[in-house]
Amino acid sequence: MEGSDEGVERVVDSKDLQQQSKAFDKLTDRVEDRQLDSSRVQEAMASIAASSEADWQAMRKREKELAAVKINAADVDIIANELELDKKVAERTLREHKGDAVAAIRHLLR
Amino acid sequence: MGASLPPKEANLFKLIVKSYETKQYKKGLKAADAILKKFPDHGETLSMKGLTLNCMDRKSEAYELVRQGLKNDLKSHVCWHVYGLLYRSDREYREAIKCYRNALRIDPDNIEILRDLSLLQAQMRDLSGFVETRQQLLTLKPNHRMNWIGFSVAHHLNSNSFKAVEILEAYEGTLDEDHPPENERCEHGEMLLYKISLLEECGFLERALEELHKKESKIVDKLVYKEQEVSLLVKLGHLDEGEALYRALLSMNPDNYRYYEGLQKCVGLYLEDGQYSPDQIDRLDSLYKTLVQQYKWSSAVKRIPLDFLQGGQFREAADSYIRPLLTKGVPSLFSDLSSLYNHPGKADILEQLILELEHSIRMSGHYPGRTDKEPPSTLMWTLFLLAQHYDRRGQYEIALSKIDEAIEHTPTVIDLYSVKSRILKHAGDLVAAAAFADEARCMDLADRYVNSECVKRMLQADQVALAEKTAVLFTKDGDQHNNLHDMQCMWYELASGESYFRQGDLGRALKKFLAVEKHYADITEDQFDFHSYCLRKMTLRTYVEMLKFQDQLHSHAYFHKAAAGAIRCYIKLHDSPPKSTAEEDDNMSKLLPSQKKKMRQKQRKAEARAKKEAEEKNEESSASGVSKSGKRHVKPVDPDPNGEKLLQVEDPLSEATKYLKLLQKNSPDSLETHLLSFELYTRKQKILLALQAVKQLLRLDAEHPDSHRCLIKFFHKVGSMNAPVTDSEKLIWSVLEAERPTISQLHEKSLFEANNSFLEKHKDSLMHRAAFAEILHILDSNRKSEAVKFVEDSTNNIVPRNGALGPIREWNLTDCIAVHKLLETVLADQDAGLRWKVRCAEYFPYSTYFEGCHSSASPNSAFSQLRKNSENESLNHSVDGQNVGSITSNGKLEAFKDLTI
Repeated sequence: MEGSDEGVERVVDSKDLQQQSKAFDKLTDRVEDRQLDSSRVQEAMASIAASSEADWQAMRKREKELAAVKINAADVDIIANELELDKKVAERTLREHKGDAVAAIRHLLR
Repeated sequence: MGASLPPKEANLFKLIVKSYETKQYKKGLKAADAILKKFPDHGETLSMKGLTLNCMDRKSEAYELVRQGLKNDLKSHVCWHVYGLLYRSDREYREAIKCYRNALRIDPDNIEILRDLSLLQAQMRDLSGFVETRQQLLTLKPNHRMNWIGFSVAHHLNSNSFKAVEILEAYEGTLDEDHPPENERCEHGEMLLYKISLLEECGFLERALEELHKKESKIVDKLVYKEQEVSLLVKLGHLDEGEALYRALLSMNPDNYRYYEGLQKCVGLYLEDGQYSPDQIDRLDSLYKTLVQQYKWSSAVKRIPLDFLQGGQFREAADSYIRPLLTKGVPSLFSDLSSLYNHPGKADILEQLILELEHSIRMSGHYPGRTDKEPPSTLMWTLFLLAQHYDRRGQYEIALSKIDEAIEHTPTVIDLYSVKSRILKHAGDLVAAAAFADEARCMDLADRYVNSECVKRMLQADQVALAEKTAVLFTKDGDQHNNLHDMQCMWYELASGESYFRQGDLGRALKKFLAVEKHYADITEDQFDFHSYCLRKMTLRTYVEMLKFQDQLHSHAYFHKAAAGAIRCYIKLHDSPPKSTAEEDDNMSKLLPSQKKKMRQKQRKAEARAKKEAEEKNEESSASGVSKSGKRHVKPVDPDPNGEKLLQVEDPLSEATKYLKLLQKNSPDSLETHLLSFELYTRKQKILLALQAVKQLLRLDAEHPDSHRCLIKFFHKVGSMNAPVTDSEKLIWSVLEAERPTISQLHEKSLFEANNSFLEKHKDSLMHRAAFAEILHILDSNRKSEAVKFVEDSTNNIVPRNGALGPIREWNLTDCIAVHKLLETVLADQDAGLRWKVRCAEYFPYSTYFEGCHSSASPNSAFSQLRKNSENESLNHSVDGQNVGSITSNGKLEAFKDLTI
């Protein structure tokens, strides 16, 4: 159900514009996908190894470290308000600077 | 998907879906109505009907039906999917993604939903999500080519080019040896070029080159093949092969400057800064002399040496370059040479050279050292070139005398009037500039270029209504300039927005600036359809390039201008709010009863007229009818044509902040971005953000007068704040104490001392002196007269130079206007402002701002001369017995007002 996304159009009052509209309409025409040879595809799939496991583990460890940092909730509010940031961004920056509000703010002012 | 329906209705439901996919919306609607006749509460059918109506521009009905459908069938992935598609069409991407995720929770392996989700993730640049989704699609349908390509591109965008290569190689492993078939050669060739560019990006240069050679027979685009090959050869240090290949490329296109640059690199004669040693210059000169023999018809090979040659060699080469172009009458010659004016010493050499040519042609009719007679036009083109030369050097009087002589020589050449217009603009007479641009326009009414140039000059002279009337001569809808908005004509919207701003019409100015912002939003959305189209067509290199361009879209200069303009409007709106309705009512109550009655009658008439106009517009709109596909081609009526509603914004500063954030993200290297940031955040009392702006200004240019102003103003304001009380204030104070020592301008100095120190370094610069004076006044308002005197004591020195003809002074018109405004507003000294004005009228005799003796504000001006000429023509018309209307300041426009293009 991949459909077109078309808004209000101008009044078509010339052949040029009609051709333009037709060409743009073609962009979103329904077209069947090209098929590949099935037997070779299975071999190819096997060669795609999952190398993202290690990356995911490293990221998870990092998140765990950050979650352990103690922070002052009032500092999060002050930083978010004064620097007009999302609270999540303010909180994360504060955690990355081990709860030191001054250091976090100076980093954000960079 | 409609599983609960009986077979007949289930088939009708499939027809709805197919009709939607193939854009046959009327047919789909009919099928939906047939189902709903028997099953009026069927959720999925209601949803699909809504989606179909959405594509027929019946949006409110669409939302109603889709929501009803979803409410009736919350467990249907079809209903959630449709709701997401509806949000997507309104660019509510985050909501759409939520709906898709809900749909996938119900049907986790639905191909269509995953595909739609991946499109949104690409649009929103959720790249890790995009990789994940594309991987799912590949796992589910590994025999679809597009899924391999999509997965590879996803990894590339997610900064994993090597993985992308691996996937493409696995994909190639699925193909026959004799792949591709004839109808897929271009697509496959593009994929191969993409893979090779990925290898290059990974740094696997040898492997990329090997792959390129191996696949040569399968790559259709031979030009890109060669360019890619030479790029790899140079990076690998195979300079001899690279040189040979660049020479081959030059034989294909000897006007591509990049090939010359590449060739120079291969022979070891290229420096980024262009600072060549005498020996290098000699070798370069020899190289280009041999190239000239090979490519006699190329301009590039003759022009490039002018960049690196110096002194006598430069003069000789420039002479031989210029002569044939003057003889031929090339109007763009000065544009071609203009970059040389940034090289030290070359402008003087060019001046002497051209003057010598002029003198010789004038005296003898031929070039120095030649006996061939030059055609009469050569003198005119020489004068044309000289006029532009003196314009560039700021000697407007001489420039105007040269262009006037050229016009007298041949009054029918349009370019002469265009250049005269530009000279007058630089000299400060915008009204006369507009008049001469109009004169040029009237000489060729079929040329949109001169029409646009004229419109631009009129807008610069704040003649907005006239500019609009002139622009309309080339718009499709005849009497409307909506066409310019529809065609995204940003230069027009920016110029008219700036004009309205200068005239204090903030509503219309905002309207124009926000229109430009809307165009950029539209351009951002335009990429959406290409996420699936380009994967299908395999134009992957161009697709990735487009995505990167889109990521940088708001860095474009036009967006910067529009956002800066909008922010200035909002700041002005904040500083001087428009009168509220209550205040107007108060004014009304002071009137006598009879005056009240008159006022009310006037209002009633105005309202009636506005209503009538709106009704007429609606009638015109509905008359356009309905097209075959079922869409109503209705132009929405502009609910706020003059931007009055924009003025009613509750919080102008928060509106301004939206655009400021875009500037901060996309134009961080522009001083203007951070100046606006400082002005905005000081008004919002966001001390830390104002500090950030100051830090950015110092990073970019610590010695700029505006950086200095903001620095001292900031710490002056901070110094006058009360001792911190709240936790918030204490934290801010701590940050300030930590940051101040890092600012070298303030080391162990008071603000007065910092200001004095700044002046010591820049005491000869007018703008730096003005900044010093302003800050002195801010720090101690009792020293205003001292500050004023200091500005007035500034000296306009003559710039030292080798040339002999006429002085060039240091000050420029823009700076002097800025100083005048400073004297009249910040320093509030009207007498000093008047004295400054009189003084600058001497330096800038053509400036209308300073009412110089040659400006349009004076009877001696070129503009007045033009008016006299028009009067003469009028007399001629009278002699012929024709009826002549009133004389206008715009030349022949009146005579052609009934002309249709």
